Amino acid sequence: MRLFSLFVKVTTAIGGSVGVATFLVMLSGATTFHATTLHAKENTRLVLTGSSTVAPLALEMAKRFEKSHPGVRIDVQTGGSSRGVADARAGRADIGMASRSLKQSESDLFSYTIALDGITIILNKDNPVKTLSNDQIRNIYTGNIKNWNQVGGRDTRITVVNKAEGRSTLELFLHHLALKNSDIKASVVIGDNQQGIKTVSGNPGAIGYVSVGAAEFEADYGTPIKLLPMGGVDATVETIKHRRFPLSRPLNFITKQKPHGMIEKFILFAQSTVVNDLIEEQYFVSLAVPLK
Amino acid sequence: MIDRCFTFIIWLTAGIVFLAFGWLISEVVVQGVGKLSWSFLTDEPARSGREGGIYPIIVSTLLILGTALVIVIPLGLGSAIWLAEFTKKSSKRVQSTRLILDVLAGVPSIVFGLFGYAFFCGFLDLGFSILSGGLTLACMMLPILIRTTEAGLTAVPNDWRRAGAALGVSRTTLLWQVLLPYASPAITAGLLLSIGRATAETAALIFTSGYVDRMPESLNDSGRALAVHIYDLSMNVVGGDKAAYGSALVLIIMVVIINLSANALSEFWLEKKINRLQ
Repeated sequence: MRLFSLFVKVTTAIGGSVGVATFLVMLSGATTFHATTLHAKENTRLVLTGSSTVAPLALEMAKRFEKSHPGVRIDVQTGGSSRGVADARAGRADIGMASRSLKQSESDLFSYTIALDGITIILNKDNPVKTLSNDQIRNIYTGNIKNWNQVGGRDTRITVVNKAEGRSTLELFLHHLALKNSDIKASVVIGDNQQGIKTVSGNPGAIGYVSVGAAEFEADYGTPIKLLPMGGVDATVETIKHRRFPLSRPLNFITKQKPHGMIEKFILFAQSTVVNDLIEEQYFVSLAVPLK
Repeated sequence: MIDRCFTFIIWLTAGIVFLAFGWLISEVVVQGVGKLSWSFLTDEPARSGREGGIYPIIVSTLLILGTALVIVIPLGLGSAIWLAEFTKKSSKRVQSTRLILDVLAGVPSIVFGLFGYAFFCGFLDLGFSILSGGLTLACMMLPILIRTTEAGLTAVPNDWRRAGAALGVSRTTLLWQVLLPYASPAITAGLLLSIGRATAETAALIFTSGYVDRMPESLNDSGRALAVHIYDLSMNVVGGDKAAYGSALVLIIMVVIINLSANALSEFWLEKKINRLQ
């Protein structure tokens, strides 16, 4: 019994020391974390948080920036546009990322557009339909129009291709047409742009929406799809670049104060032509003007 | 006739479960095996993870899991021993502890994620780090491990304890030599369940250990877990599906290896202690 109480004491001691050890580790973690935040003031470490659409792009930009600026570390975290804005405002992040413009209530912050994203309707190349109004698109996606002959096409059933829940393109599309995802009667639900393009290129009756950059790239390489104009504006990288295309959104870096030091350097870097290939790789549209 | 029907139904349900599982695995294997190679396991990710490997991500995952286990195993075993051996089953406090643990074991992981984000990252100022992720996972794993270990210990026949007392064996010896080895299959099962839950975790880790896919230099660095990587590749990266399947396959292989070695360890312990007594 004595041994046993000893055992209890020992285990509590072990438990206690583990606890203390954890605490110490935490403490050391906390101090190093403070140290690194202090470092951030010397601009050697930047923290970016926000939009999951921008994050993969920002991560690649950060890697390239780190290569040309030894000693600089850029940590990219996700969590959504709203969190990007909130973290930038609270100072938890040096730069917030948002795949939308700032709202009225956020006008105290600074935003810098690094790229644009546009989406458009695509049809199979064999489909004679040349244009669709927003009302027609809405009716097709809600299942009120089921055959292409109702909108001036051949007598073919319409295959509605929709995006999976959680996709930013889905949100933009729904927002533009003022629809809810539950209203949509989809025949096919897809994940990424490539899948959407494959589905539409293989089915003469299909209608889908994808990122303009990805669709233009595929159409140029002979995939049998065509991009429909939206609101009378042709869906091209050019019209998005000049902000004439209605279904587009800016991908923004957001800061609380006017950027300076390394933050400013990184934002300028992200807006320069040096990262154009990275932007195109994510099928976004670069705004940087090449020096030709 | 009834017997035959019953047999048929049993076979059918077993078949359905096996089919669903087999389909899932074969899907991942077929899609992912092309991506799997030595360089995939030892390279850094490139082009948002579409190319390159997942080496830093595997390292981060193991570090996060290791951190969690270092905390969970002593605390979990200690609490379970206390609950099973040192308390009266009928006591109100013990029963409410059990209830709380059961509730915690069923709480969705995102709740732990938010807690971890607020407490470890924010309050304790650990920021996005492997440490925060591991501690958050530890909170998730503890209730599962405690409850299964406790169940395992409770299942040991009381006669064994009486026999031990009659032989004048101390409680400590009894615990180490008899009770814990006897309960070790249950402990292993609990441990594997909680490890499974931890490796599958995405929601809680995005907010705590973060998204950075660089090689972590210390536990204070942010590191991307495999599950987070798979989620990001399949949801945010255009054309990342192949790499996502490859990573999923690696995750499955990792879980299988962990399971097999944990089972082997517990068998070994059981063999060494119990069978020697017989």
